[in-house]
Amino acid sequence: MTRTLRRVAVIGGVRIPFCRSNTLYADLSNQDMLTAALDGLVDRYNLKRQHIDEVVGGAVVTHSKDFNLMRESVLGTSLAPSTPGVTLQQACGTSLQAALMTGAKIAAGEIECGIAAGSDTTSDAPIVFSKKFSKRLIEAGQKKTMMEKLKVFQGFGPSELTPQAPMVSEPRTGLSMGQHCELMARTFAVPRAEQDQFAFESHRKAAAAYAEGWMDDLLVPFAGVFRDNNLREDMSLDKLATLKTAFEKDPKATLTAANSTPLTDGAATVLLASEEWAAAHGLKPQAFLTYGQHWGNNFVAGEGLLMAPTIAVGKMLERAGLTLQDFDFYEIHEAFAAQVLATLKAWEDRDYCKRHLGRDMPLGSIDRSKLNVKGSSLAVGHPFAATGARIVANLAKLLSTHGGRGLISICTAGGMGVAAIMESAEKPL
Amino acid sequence: MTDDALDLKDWRFSIDGEGIAWATFDREGSSANALGQRPLEELGAIVARTEAGARDGSIKGLVIISGKERGYIVGADINEFENLKTEADVTKSISTVNAMFDRIERLAVPVVAAVHGVCVGGGLELILACHYRIATRDPSTRVGFPEVKLGIFPGFNGTARSIRQAGPMSAMQAMLTGSMISASAAKGMGLIDELVASKSALPWAARKAILKKRSSKAAGLTKSALLTWPARKVLARQMRAEVAKKARADHYPAPYRLIDLFEEYGGDLDAMKAAETKAFAPLLVSEQSKNLRRVFKLSEALKAQAPKKLKWKPVRAHVIGAGTMGADIAGVCVAAGMEVTLQDISKEQLEKGISSQGKLFGRKFKTKPLKDAAKARLIADPEGRGISRADVVIEAIVERLDVKQALFADLETKVKPGAVLATNTSSLKLADISKPMKDPGRLIGLHFFSPVPQMPLVEVVRGDLTRAEEIDKGAAFVTAIDKFPLITKDVPGFLVNKVLTPYMFAAMERLERGEDKEKIDEAVRTFGMPMGPIELADSVGLDVCAHVARILGKGSEGSRLERLVQSGRLGKKTGEGFYKWVDGKPQRSRSDWPKAELEKLGRELVDPLITESQRSLDEGVVASADLVDAGMIFGTGFAPFRGGPLHFKTQEGGKTVKAAAAE
Repeated sequence: MTRTLRRVAVIGGVRIPFCRSNTLYADLSNQDMLTAALDGLVDRYNLKRQHIDEVVGGAVVTHSKDFNLMRESVLGTSLAPSTPGVTLQQACGTSLQAALMTGAKIAAGEIECGIAAGSDTTSDAPIVFSKKFSKRLIEAGQKKTMMEKLKVFQGFGPSELTPQAPMVSEPRTGLSMGQHCELMARTFAVPRAEQDQFAFESHRKAAAAYAEGWMDDLLVPFAGVFRDNNLREDMSLDKLATLKTAFEKDPKATLTAANSTPLTDGAATVLLASEEWAAAHGLKPQAFLTYGQHWGNNFVAGEGLLMAPTIAVGKMLERAGLTLQDFDFYEIHEAFAAQVLATLKAWEDRDYCKRHLGRDMPLGSIDRSKLNVKGSSLAVGHPFAATGARIVANLAKLLSTHGGRGLISICTAGGMGVAAIMESAEKPL
Repeated sequence: MTDDALDLKDWRFSIDGEGIAWATFDREGSSANALGQRPLEELGAIVARTEAGARDGSIKGLVIISGKERGYIVGADINEFENLKTEADVTKSISTVNAMFDRIERLAVPVVAAVHGVCVGGGLELILACHYRIATRDPSTRVGFPEVKLGIFPGFNGTARSIRQAGPMSAMQAMLTGSMISASAAKGMGLIDELVASKSALPWAARKAILKKRSSKAAGLTKSALLTWPARKVLARQMRAEVAKKARADHYPAPYRLIDLFEEYGGDLDAMKAAETKAFAPLLVSEQSKNLRRVFKLSEALKAQAPKKLKWKPVRAHVIGAGTMGADIAGVCVAAGMEVTLQDISKEQLEKGISSQGKLFGRKFKTKPLKDAAKARLIADPEGRGISRADVVIEAIVERLDVKQALFADLETKVKPGAVLATNTSSLKLADISKPMKDPGRLIGLHFFSPVPQMPLVEVVRGDLTRAEEIDKGAAFVTAIDKFPLITKDVPGFLVNKVLTPYMFAAMERLERGEDKEKIDEAVRTFGMPMGPIELADSVGLDVCAHVARILGKGSEGSRLERLVQSGRLGKKTGEGFYKWVDGKPQRSRSDWPKAELEKLGRELVDPLITESQRSLDEGVVASADLVDAGMIFGTGFAPFRGGPLHFKTQEGGKTVKAAAAE
């Protein structure tokens, strides 16, 4: 039996406003936020009590009780309880990867519709005991008599009680993501002023997007919050220049709290479907998801922790038969201004492209006026696993408004990059 | 498995494989569960069935849960109260219910109440008769005893049972104030035993409670110590003093009778149960309670003016003018969850207006994130960038026709389709303001009363040209900010000020003729108004009164009012008007006039208000006599226990006729 691949429609996405950690969502959990974002999507597309073939996504920072996060979140929404939930995680690429996997199933005809989603909070981070102490607790639980239980605690020292916060550094290098990005900024010679300018523009563009009402149907108010609280309308370049560096004290350091994304709480969703399903439900696709690619690099050997998207994009363009210049919109996730700028420089660099992308010619430059036109993570914030779905939804709306083709590139912890291509629903391929 | 032995309309009853009986309350033909006669009879049948099942071992426990999507039990059915004409009727009806609740309490198997949503009045009394109470942490889950607001107190033995569970301090507090209590606060008090995260976890928690034979613990020793005779005496005295600050015993007897009940019988809860019915029956058939029930129904009638099925939902509001009125309007919109852009040409005024709302947010929101979120929703917008995204634009600027005309002609070109355009004018005609507009049918009036956060009424003014759909949206907006809409015709003063003005000026004329201002005010308070007309004039501001007087052609040269205004003594806001004001209170010197004299004067003083109410009805300012009464009660605080000016007049007429017949 042969089956033809079907087009994967992006119906649209809804997210809750993003908030800096320990501010307006301080009392909420990943599940609270995911449920709210999903219910926002349900409202927008009239999905109440409907079965969705799968809801896929996850969170990067989770509690062990969240082992079934997506299914639990689905059960809290007004979707039909028959809707399965799949919890998966690929660091900051989580919800883009979720969209790609769901999209592949739609293309193959295995499912008709699915929701990709992601959430993160570092306000509700799991704090755990040391491994030694946890082990004692488990053993004690298995013992029968009080004496046996007490024996387990022989040699116990108070230091075992020091709580372990979740790791923010790369397990293999012991460096924080910011420290890794400092290294990239140095390798690709990205000066502080360029980074500050880039962050400034992200805020300016996002503020304009709010003012023109662009965000109104992409966001659903939640917990009394209507807009991303990281966004600054009154940001000034002079002020940015005065900020201290955030990750390294070295005078040559360039990354600050403003040209890096803050720890953020939030959740985002996006609805994907076959064209048949969309038509049957009276929904108009905003765009189509046409290519996806992820790739890793050897950052441990010094290739740059957040440089893997350069490769993922290169591979994907090869498969699609497109050049880097064949796009009307670029959505490059702004983990750090330096990450985006280093990526752009790498694509322009003949030597880098030869060595890491196996190409004789560099991918070249992009038209910067097409990049992150509504602002991105530096302005609105970056709840790790939510960012992919936010970007897919934003690009889908851009393509439905202006037509054309868009490129997504997201860097993740552990030296991976996730990329995708989306095309306007108006122009058939 | 459904049990076919019972023929139920308002409940569903089934016994599951583990022998747990599930009584699901889902009142037929109603969106809310009220404990009317039929549901209570059916519950009686369920209890009898459970008793039998407990005896033969087929039922291990009973769960009482709601079948409605939201809401548990809203209490007794107050519409059925009207069928109870005499104290004997009340006693008979109540005793049947109380006997049934006692049987629930005495059941040999555990009875668990599983609560999601509002559970008040008789509903709370029912769950207090159960053995164990579980509630969801959902914000919609709240318990309370609102009876006192209807001129009664709990009558299904809730007085004794709530004291047993929560101790006298917090139980009496709940019954005397009628306030709504969140699930977690109720657990803290002892009214609820266990909390669960969500509605779907509720039946599972109930199952576990039954299998584990859980039962609630009564209030501990410290709380019960307050039930001894000397402690009750002291508590009762404190409670009476507290209540006296809010309600007069001759107008609102219910809280006082409740305190009497507690003082006398609080030491013996069984005796208290019997005494409760005795004290309750006369209250329920009293004129005051009937009228307070009427007020409750009037508030429902006001809310019903906003169409329920409207698709339009206001989410963003834009308010122009950051004076006290404009800023307060913006504040209540934010408090109701909306995002508001506030515009003013003065930057200082804008900052002042915004910072003045901190108090309201502090009262309304208890956690820092919610407070901060509210602050973030109130946005200073000197350039009016919010206009194009707002669902409702409200103007609260200077009362000048040319300025308002220019503003709305401009706004009309900027707002999004479907947005409501509203003026808060109190003295200009809508048809005049909308004259330069391309679509004058779009303009409505939203007349707020000061102080906005406290006043429950907003008049939704239908100009001569206003389209019906805009009025619908205006009324829906008013309910969305948790206020009562009153749709009025565009006549000077709309309803409330039109009716109030002749009454206030008649009082001032009396003052002019030499009547004591304090006697005037006291007489009107004796009638039941929250404030006398002279204090009211001082509170509103004498400049405003003089302005209204001129508009209505009632201004008179050389009157005390004019003289006070000219000398800058404008009332409460300047510290002196007719009265001297200290700490927001008028300074009085005496109040010892004979009661009969005060009553007679009070009735005379209120007469112009009643006359003007009737005239407004005749002129069709609002749609019905009930709406006139509702407007005056919620707009001016007109003695609620009298049921409204027109209702009062009808009842008074009835009494006069009866008295005449008796002679």
